[in-house]
Amino acid sequence: MVSVTLERISKTFGEVEAVSDVSLEIGKGELFFMLGPSGCGKTTLLRMIAGFYLPTSGRILFGERDITQTPPHKRNTGMVFQNYALWPHMTVRENVAYGLELRKTPVEEQNRRIQEALEMVRMTEYAGRSPNQLSGGQQQRVALARALVINPDVVLLDEPLSNLDAKLRLEMRDEIRRIHDELGTTMIYVTHDQKEALSLADRIAVMGMGEVRQIGDPRTVYTRPSSPFVAHFIGETNFIPGKVAHTGEETVIETAVGPLISSVPPDRPFVPGADVVCCIRPESIDLVSGSAGDEKTNLISASVIQIMYLGEHEQYSVRLKGDTTLKVVHPHPDRRKAEPGQEIWLTFDPSHVVALTPE
Amino acid sequence: MADVRPLPCSGVDARIDTSMPLRYFSSDLTPGLKVLLGFLVLFFGAFLLYPLFYVFANAFYTDGTFSLTFFGLLLQNPVQQRSLLNSLELGIAATIVTTLISLPIAHALVRYDFRGKGILSGLLLIPMVMPPFVGAIGMKQMFARFGSINLLLLEIGIIDTPIDWFGGGGFWGVVILEALHLYPIMYLNIAAGLANVDPSLEESARNMGASGFRLFRTVTFPLMLPGYFAGAIIVFIWAFTDLGTPLIFEFREVVAVQIFNMMSDLHENPMGYALVVFVMIVTLALFYLSKKFIGGRRYEMMGRGHVVSASRPATGVEMAVIYAGLLSIVGIALIPHFSVLLTSVSDRWFMTVLPSEYTTAYYGSIFDHELTARAIKNSLILSGLSTLVDIVLGILIAYLLTRRRFPGKDLLDAVTMLPLALPGLVLAFGYVAGFSGTFLDVRIWPVPLLVISYAVRRLPYMVRSAYAGFQQMSVAMEEASMNMGASPFTTLWRITMPLVIANLVAGAILAFSFAMLEVSDSLILATKEDDYPITKAIYALMGRIADGPYMASAMGMLGMVLLACSLLVTGKVLGKKMGELFKV
Repeated sequence: MVSVTLERISKTFGEVEAVSDVSLEIGKGELFFMLGPSGCGKTTLLRMIAGFYLPTSGRILFGERDITQTPPHKRNTGMVFQNYALWPHMTVRENVAYGLELRKTPVEEQNRRIQEALEMVRMTEYAGRSPNQLSGGQQQRVALARALVINPDVVLLDEPLSNLDAKLRLEMRDEIRRIHDELGTTMIYVTHDQKEALSLADRIAVMGMGEVRQIGDPRTVYTRPSSPFVAHFIGETNFIPGKVAHTGEETVIETAVGPLISSVPPDRPFVPGADVVCCIRPESIDLVSGSAGDEKTNLISASVIQIMYLGEHEQYSVRLKGDTTLKVVHPHPDRRKAEPGQEIWLTFDPSHVVALTPE
Repeated sequence: MADVRPLPCSGVDARIDTSMPLRYFSSDLTPGLKVLLGFLVLFFGAFLLYPLFYVFANAFYTDGTFSLTFFGLLLQNPVQQRSLLNSLELGIAATIVTTLISLPIAHALVRYDFRGKGILSGLLLIPMVMPPFVGAIGMKQMFARFGSINLLLLEIGIIDTPIDWFGGGGFWGVVILEALHLYPIMYLNIAAGLANVDPSLEESARNMGASGFRLFRTVTFPLMLPGYFAGAIIVFIWAFTDLGTPLIFEFREVVAVQIFNMMSDLHENPMGYALVVFVMIVTLALFYLSKKFIGGRRYEMMGRGHVVSASRPATGVEMAVIYAGLLSIVGIALIPHFSVLLTSVSDRWFMTVLPSEYTTAYYGSIFDHELTARAIKNSLILSGLSTLVDIVLGILIAYLLTRRRFPGKDLLDAVTMLPLALPGLVLAFGYVAGFSGTFLDVRIWPVPLLVISYAVRRLPYMVRSAYAGFQQMSVAMEEASMNMGASPFTTLWRITMPLVIANLVAGAILAFSFAMLEVSDSLILATKEDDYPITKAIYALMGRIADGPYMASAMGMLGMVLLACSLLVTGKVLGKKMGELFKV
């Protein structure tokens, strides 16, 4: 188990810069996520850590050891590939044994560790099967066992769940968390699925266009996005553009729908008059039938355009003054607040309004 | 949010799969890679480029000065003039006849579905199993002036004087034999071209009101032209440079035979060089033209396999026509084979319709007789060695082409495939001339150059088979192996090789069996009887009056069975990909 440090890593393919100037520190035993849309450079970054690409510039350290130029087979990483990459001409057991054989592990220890690894992923009874006889989820487990059995310094997971169906994905998600907690290995996990990242990660690096846009624990990344890109990529968000009218303890933003108040301290102080966008999560907005509590801040009237029933909640589309549309999540479908066409009031706490500099 | 996917391979050769991820050291020339490339440069330099260059140099330079003297002499010499014309005519005639046979076959097989289609398309390939010059031996028995057919016709009284079946001093004999041997290659190429015509294109043409011949002429034909051209070029070059068949028919005024005859006195008579250069220029020009037509579709086998099924069930009448047509083609194409078989089991066959006595003794005697027994052994050894060379080089080259990125990759690809277009005659001539006086001189010890010439000529089959295997295999399998701690070599040995072994076996079998039946290289390079391979022994036997043709036929049958078996195995392994191996 090691910490992984990326120092100013860049990678260009021909003309295209896939990763530009990324620096990261991943702690020992951390379950670290790299999250972003396809083409953001996250897989390229992971493959550089595995050694399949050489960075154009920058350094990669495992602990104190500079492994930037080390070929992949000397890095002792355990990688789980998107398509599992199990070798079809070997049985499950042989797949798992391969890494140990290459390490010349004594046979007895091999047997013990293979047994342990297969137990850990609950595949013991499939040891003699060929990968072709396994379902996707089972193949995934074998790939995981193969990566873990060698006691890698760091486990690399490249979109490991993307080829599984929704239910299996949830199951494997719990499984990976459990295995990580049992082993405490450093794991670097690449995905474009925000739910995977939010539910599993110790920390997340949100990536876009080859750059790291924000690093933080899931809660921070979700509730305090540092840029509209991050806010947009993770979860649903309403954006309302405006201008800063007043700064201080709270920021007052003048918008087309009226003044909005944010109590979230900005990363860098705003100057009055600056252009900003206010991000408000749909589930942070409450629907109230009348303008009863007049004293409330961030109270806006709106008309309901459409209501979408989603089982555990309903999603309202509402139109505000100046033709702005917002999405609102109402957690109690059985207590409907209004019908389409009706007027309604929206309110939200200033601590849920994040003012960001537009991109 | 713009979703820009970085293109790892933008700007590099588009014919090689561009979706292939870059690998470790992909952009670097590692020392190991440099050594491998250096080795390949040396090999191809010495055994492909140097001999060709040597021939060119000797054709244009006399005593250190550039001159076109030999070409002038060549064109003034009436024999050479006639030879050139004859060869060109042979090529053209063979191409036309082959086209006429192949077009309907390809059309029937690509556009219609019917019972027994698989078997029928397999049957159509059978004629390939015998080099036409062997078939010529049997054909001479049947169609000669006093061969079976004429005797039969005379007996029945249909004709009074024997018909000259081989017309023009053997010209048509050569053409027919070559066409019957080569039409499978042509039809495989046309079929591939037709299959690549998206049926929706035809449908939209129909939708516009085109139909029947008009549809074929305006839409289908232009679209399948690249495939047709690829096949036509092979056929033309083959017939243009075929040495064995004209020799057996004693149709001596063709370029190939002229060159063959000039081999013995190369030093006194440098005309041979000019003649070879002429052949080379014709073939390369054609090859270049075909490339222009075919464009960048050389690796279609490796490309997208998403062509929608273009076929429809045949009606009863259509099926009857298809069966009658295809079966009679197979029947006619197998006449040479049948006649060789008949010759090989006849004890005496002279001036009678059928052999007067039968025997299987010749099959025994080819293993006893010194010349033939040794030739069989020689062929096995020579072909075996050349196949080993092909396996090593083929795997190496296919691996480099699919898995590594390095400068000169296109060039390596082109050079490896060059022997497909290069007549064996030209290369063999280059070997004899270029290495004369060195330790590789064929007049002293022909074995090394025989092995190398077989290897170079059959390398494309091996490379293509291996290439297809590597291409099908996910690179992630190898990466997973490296990730587990395996070095690149261990990965190749334990992961890559086992997964592509079927392709390697198929390629090796093809390389081996075609080497066994290599004609022009063997005739030219095997200068000493001790080193004669099967084909040269067959040729030598033809000169023996008494039992020559019978023993030659028995040898031919042996080679035929061998090639048939190996093609069957290869077909089983490669399935539909089989046809791709014969494409330019």
